[in-house]
Amino acid sequence: MSTARTKVWWWVGGLLIILYCLFPVAWILSLSLKAPSDLDNGSFLPTQVTWQNYQLILTGQASDLFLPALRNSVGICLIATLIAVVLAALTAYAIARLDFPGKAFVLGLSLAVSMFPVISIVTPLFNIWRSIGLYDTWAGLVIPYLSITLPLSIWTLTAFFREIPWEMEQAAQVDGATTWQAFRKVIVPLAGPGVATTAIIAFFLAWNDFVYGISLTSTEAARPVPAALAFFTGASQFEEPTGATSAAAVIVTIPVVVLVLLFQRQIVAGLTQGAVKG
Amino acid sequence: MRRRAALLATVALVAPLAACASAEAGPPTLTWYINPDSGGQARIAQQCTEESGGDYRIETALLPRDAPGQREQLVRRLAANDASIDIMSLDPPYIPEFANAGFLAPIPQDVQQAVTQDVAEGAIAGATFRDELVTVPFWANTQLLWYRKSVAEAAGLDMTQPVTWDQLVEAAAGQGKTVAVQGVRAESLMVWVNALVESAGGHVLEDSEADEGEDVTPDLDSDAGRRAAEVVRTLADADVGGPQLANANEDINASMFENDDSAGFMVNWPFVWPRANAAVEAGTLDPSVVEDYGWALYPQVDEGQESRPPYGGINLGVGAFSEHVDLAFEAVQCIVDPARQAEYFVTDGNPPSSLVAFDDPEVQEAFPMADVIRESLQNAAPRPQTQFYNEVSSSVQRTWHPPRGVGPDTSPREADELIAAVLSGEALL
Amino acid sequence: MSSVAGAPPALAEDDRPRGRSARSGAPRRSDRARQEARLGMLLCAPAVLVLVAVVGYPILQAVWDSLFSYRLTNPDAREFNGLANYALILTDPIWWQALGVTVLITAITVAIELVLGFGLALVMNHALKTLRPALRTAILIPYAIITVVSAFAFLYMFDLTSGFVNSWLPFVADGKDWFATFGSAVSVIILSEIWKTTPFISLLLLSGLAQVPGDLAEAAKVDGATAWQRLWRVTIPNMKAAIMVALLFRTLDAFRIFDNIFIMTNGAAGTESVAFLAYRQTIQRLEIGVGSAVSVLLTILVALIALLFVKGFKVNLAASTRGGR
Repeated sequence: MSTARTKVWWWVGGLLIILYCLFPVAWILSLSLKAPSDLDNGSFLPTQVTWQNYQLILTGQASDLFLPALRNSVGICLIATLIAVVLAALTAYAIARLDFPGKAFVLGLSLAVSMFPVISIVTPLFNIWRSIGLYDTWAGLVIPYLSITLPLSIWTLTAFFREIPWEMEQAAQVDGATTWQAFRKVIVPLAGPGVATTAIIAFFLAWNDFVYGISLTSTEAARPVPAALAFFTGASQFEEPTGATSAAAVIVTIPVVVLVLLFQRQIVAGLTQGAVKG
Repeated sequence: MRRRAALLATVALVAPLAACASAEAGPPTLTWYINPDSGGQARIAQQCTEESGGDYRIETALLPRDAPGQREQLVRRLAANDASIDIMSLDPPYIPEFANAGFLAPIPQDVQQAVTQDVAEGAIAGATFRDELVTVPFWANTQLLWYRKSVAEAAGLDMTQPVTWDQLVEAAAGQGKTVAVQGVRAESLMVWVNALVESAGGHVLEDSEADEGEDVTPDLDSDAGRRAAEVVRTLADADVGGPQLANANEDINASMFENDDSAGFMVNWPFVWPRANAAVEAGTLDPSVVEDYGWALYPQVDEGQESRPPYGGINLGVGAFSEHVDLAFEAVQCIVDPARQAEYFVTDGNPPSSLVAFDDPEVQEAFPMADVIRESLQNAAPRPQTQFYNEVSSSVQRTWHPPRGVGPDTSPREADELIAAVLSGEALL
Repeated sequence: MSSVAGAPPALAEDDRPRGRSARSGAPRRSDRARQEARLGMLLCAPAVLVLVAVVGYPILQAVWDSLFSYRLTNPDAREFNGLANYALILTDPIWWQALGVTVLITAITVAIELVLGFGLALVMNHALKTLRPALRTAILIPYAIITVVSAFAFLYMFDLTSGFVNSWLPFVADGKDWFATFGSAVSVIILSEIWKTTPFISLLLLSGLAQVPGDLAEAAKVDGATAWQRLWRVTIPNMKAAIMVALLFRTLDAFRIFDNIFIMTNGAAGTESVAFLAYRQTIQRLEIGVGSAVSVLLTILVALIALLFVKGFKVNLAASTRGGR
């Protein structure tokens, strides 16, 4: 269809996009490999690659701040994702398969919640959490994270579930399979990818949170990574922690990149599923 | 927090995450909320734990980097009557707010006596609210005037005598050098403004200990306040503040002072000294640069009127809701031991509040300017001791930033108006 | 907050599940239908309860708190003061400035992202199979990266001490401090925001592009329409619904901007947004009453924008999903 010349242009466009997307990531990576004296050298690349920023946050002085935060983030986000996906799966199943009044209400409610400004509920949550003792706990973050992960999971899973040929389950049962076998052999393979994709996207959202993280925690008991990033210090309290922050930024980006590399096709499908199909 | 979480049977879904057995064996644990440093406070916690002979165990918990952030974290917990806060490292300007809200356990008389022995005047003033010692001075900070000997010499400045801001600006402008100040819209700007106003013989607030916000009287629109604004404006107009004046913080200035060809003068905390020496050791800074470092007392605003350098540092407060108040005071006394303060100065670069600690030979060796720091601490003026400090400081930062926009006829008046409006609940901040 | 909201799946009024017509409709099965309805509501109940509890209850609490003069460090002085907090906010230039900044950032980012995102979508649509996985991976990285991380990357990039931008840009003085003045500071904030969220828009638009009937474009081509005409007359009208959905979601998202401002300027140089103002009143100043009032106002604004899109621009969230019926 397209001539060789236009083909070249699409190639150039594509490469430009890749450059655009990766440039800031490459920059923070390069910054994290600079020695303290190199940080201010005003050039993109380090003059000499050093791992000392990583040592600082993984085994050194800043590890007391970073490692607990990493553990908190992973734990809290996984739990918030798990709960969201389980609750959303029930809801999405009902919406996709059953006839009942209030479907539009459920979908509308989750849409409204997902549009909601997080900052608006931080104040009351902070107050409530203080009085019931959830302030600075894992639970105190898992619950508000559900306001981010749950609406999205409901939407995405509903879209996925509507595509599933549920008749196959009945067909399998007719063929003599037990309900459990039908579920395991037919439904799980059909619904699995959608659930996994939804979980990944929900995890991204929770992983990204900053407002709840800085407002509802105060120690390493629950402080997540994005909040901890703003907490690093240099050699003294007056010195900028550029190196440590960059190294930590790179480390928390690794899981994101791995997930994207492994599941890029599914994630794109999940993100656009709802908008394209219904 | 575990105990509280255990009460939360209602949140059945997630409660198991936080709840665990609260039975702990061994000595009571004291939690010390520390501001970030180079590890010195954690080491002291370790030492005092060992010295207590099993009476208590000190654990540290880290607070954010900037003082307002530290205040936020602590206030939020204390407002919830958090019993897990035993000892806290407090930035002096926020102490009145804590004291007024009843967040600080009263200090027993005998402890008061012991911890004010041979302590710098400025540090005691900063630890006091309504004539009562409410916190224990730990380390005390002050800013010096740092200069490049070569630049001062070329300008013909006699640095053995006190110098004024105008002289510095003139000397720097003549040679295309900088007078580095903290012009960033942050607490460090307030530190500078307060030192200027105090050095000009005035105060930011008239009666800072007032109970009600309405009764706090700002006094920036005074001769001293206008004079201070003049100094800021002159420095900005003469273009000696460096390109980054409006965003310059302590670290940017220290870095510029090490590396930039335009380095001339700088007001900054003593951390710049170990910072530069570490860079020499790492081989990234030429030793001749550090040999060129000179130091003197903070510049004067008006010739002949003694300057009032900034006062900072950290005091220790004991949480009012702590379950081990007595042990906490024992631990505090262990922490502020002058020998430990001296060691902390050498390792972390934070000067002692104890005057005798300056005589430590190791201190004298690591900080050849130790005596100047001690003298500066004696003259230092604290920032306004008011429970509304956060509002006052933010108002000043808003009206005195950027430095280029500061005017003697506008900024002091606007600051007064904003402070008054905010404190009487008539304006946002 | 540029939290990356997922794509909005269709909100269809006629939310009829497919592929199971055999089970609905017949009146004599009303018992079974009632049972099914009960099961459906039961399955939805946990999620609905959680959503209401996590968001509904706090926002009511915020409305209540906003009627009090209440400072956390001075709880004894807490008193009811009606709508005084709202009066204070709405008469204060700080609020209007924050609102202006928020609107400005929203308008510029969304406009640029729409154009840029469309370009990205076109390229992805045409890119060769060999390049497509790489493109898809690259484009997902800004989407999935933590906003705070991207904020730090751009901060350090433009920062005078650690940055390289001044030495790369030929027309910029080496000593330019990007975060000193409003114009340049807000530009960097916008740049970071655009980098992070354009991929999301472009993915939505890509799925819109896929719905444009290929034969239409082909027919226009035969009729002698130029590529530009085809774009404006055929492609864009046919994906209007997808464009509006993308617009709605990004507008609401941009309106909540917080992370980038917090990291890069902390509100200095006049870059404070409405969300940041709310944060500062509550979390930094501990003025729970005033802060709650700002939060409530922000919520109302977001609801108004959503309403404007849905009613005013007739964004039918369902339409985008039915191939432009």
